[in-house]
Amino acid sequence: MSATRELVAKLRRQLGEDEPLAPARPALPLTPPPRRVFPTKRAKSDYLREASQHTTALVGIGHVGTRYATDVVLQFQAELAVAHEAVASLLPEGWRAEHGLMLLNTEVADHQEYLMRPDLGRRLAAESRELLEAAALKDIDVQPILADGLSARACVESGMNVLSALTSQCMGLGLTLGTPMCARFARVWLEDEIGELVRAKVAIIILGERPGLGTGDGLSAYLVHRPTVGKTDGDRNMISNIHRRGLSPEAAGARLARMASAMIEQNISGVELDLSRVGGELGSQALRKPEPRVSLVECSR
Amino acid sequence: MILEPIRPAILSVRRIHNAHESVLVGYGADPSRHTSLGLVTCDQDDSTYVALDEATKHAPVEVVFARSFYAGASFSSGRLSGEILGVLAGAGPAEVETGLRALVGCLEHDACFYHGDERGEIALFPHVVSSIGHYLAHESGLPVGSSMAYLVAPPMEGTIGIDRALKEANVRVAKLFPPPTETNFTAAWLAGELSECEAAASAFAEAVIQVGREPRA
Repeated sequence: MSATRELVAKLRRQLGEDEPLAPARPALPLTPPPRRVFPTKRAKSDYLREASQHTTALVGIGHVGTRYATDVVLQFQAELAVAHEAVASLLPEGWRAEHGLMLLNTEVADHQEYLMRPDLGRRLAAESRELLEAAALKDIDVQPILADGLSARACVESGMNVLSALTSQCMGLGLTLGTPMCARFARVWLEDEIGELVRAKVAIIILGERPGLGTGDGLSAYLVHRPTVGKTDGDRNMISNIHRRGLSPEAAGARLARMASAMIEQNISGVELDLSRVGGELGSQALRKPEPRVSLVECSR
Repeated sequence: MILEPIRPAILSVRRIHNAHESVLVGYGADPSRHTSLGLVTCDQDDSTYVALDEATKHAPVEVVFARSFYAGASFSSGRLSGEILGVLAGAGPAEVETGLRALVGCLEHDACFYHGDERGEIALFPHVVSSIGHYLAHESGLPVGSSMAYLVAPPMEGTIGIDRALKEANVRVAKLFPPPTETNFTAAWLAGELSECEAAASAFAEAVIQVGREPRA
C-alpha cells in the first residue's frame, strides 16, 4: 500500500474538509481459475500395489505435480546413505584372525586408494604371495577366498556363513578344499592370482558387492575354472544378492559347490559352462521370492 | 467533496494459459520465456499502470503490454474496454495468477484518481510509489526500488501542478508527458527521496485544486 491515501487525507484536512477519507473498498474476490490441489490424490491401482510388493524397484511411488512425494525422496536419501555407509566400511582389525582365516593383502595401501585404483586391488602384495606359497594347501579342487570387496559390512555379516556352507557342501561332493583365507581391499580378479599360486581347479571369491539403494549387505561370489592371471569375465560364473532378503548363505553355499563340481566335470567355466546339466535349482528358471522395499523413513500424511 | 477517491472499476480480468506464439510476440512477450498471459481492462489507465507495476513486485511476471485508449473511459469502444488494456506475461499460469492477484489488490485498495473539485469535474492522480517495480523502472529509466511521484491531471491543472511540485520538493523529472496524452491529460514521473516524492505529490494536488478554484488568476 502506497503512502498516497495518507497524503491525500492530510491534504483534505489542510483544505478544510472535515469528513474523513472514505475507507478503501475490500478487494473483490478474483474468480479463481480451476486449481490443482497438492498433494494430488494418491492414485489407486491394484496392479501397481501388487507389483510393488514384488520388487525393490521404485514402482508405483506416485508423484506430486512433476516431483516425487516427500516420503519417496526421504526414502531415496536414506537408502543412498545405507549404500554410502557400506562402501565406506572397513574390515574390523583382528576379524580375520579371529575366524581362523589366512590374512592376505593386496597392493592397495588404504581405502581411498582401493576405491581409486581397481588394478592394485587385483594384485597380491609380495609378502602375501610368499605366505601363500609357504603355508597354503596346494593342488586342491576348490579354493574359497573371502574378501571385503565394496562392502566390508556384507563380508562381516554373512561371509563366514557362506564360507562354512560352501565348505560342508564341497566336502559332501567329495571335493578337496584349500586353506580358508580372507583378502583385504580385494577385487574379483584377485582370485586368478591366488588360484594360480595354490594350483586350484576352481577358485571362488566371495566378496561384498557394489551396494545398491538400501542394500549394503549383499555378497557376490565369482567362480573361475583353472584360474590364471589374464582370465576374463567371460571365463567366470557368478552368484549375486547373497543376503538375508535375497539368496540365503546356505543356499548360496550349495549352489556354489554344485557349480564348482560342474566346472571340474565339464573342464570349463564361464559362458560355455552348461548349467542345464547341473540340474536342480541351478538349471531351472526359478522365480525369486517377492522382495518388498523396506521402509527406512516414516512420513505422516 | 474535494479529494474524494474515484474508485477504478476493473472491467475484465482474463487469462490465456497457453497463448499462441503469434499473440505472445504481437503483445511483446518472449515465447521462449512466457507461455501465459493475464489481461486486464480498467476505466483508469494510470491506476492500472501503477497496479501492473505492483504485480511485477509480487510475481515473476513482466508487463509486456500496457496502452491507454484514446480519449479515455468516457469514450470507450465497448462495455469492457475502459481506458486501458494491460497484459502480464509469465512462465506459467501460476506466476500470472499471483501477478493478477497483486494487480487487482492494488487497484482495489491503493491506486486511484481523486476529485480535484467539488463538482467532480477535475480528476487528478497524485500518486506516490514508494518503491517502483520492474515495469516502471524500465519505462522511466530509474533503478528498481526508487521512489516516484506519479502525477496526472488535466492539461492546465497538471502543468501548473508539476511546476509547483518541482519547485517545492527536491525531486527531478524522470519523464514528462505534456498534453495531450491518449486520454488528454498531462502527466509527470518525478524521482527523489520518498519524503520528497510525498512533498511533491502533496504540492501537486494542492496546486491542481487551487487552479480549479481560480482558473483565471
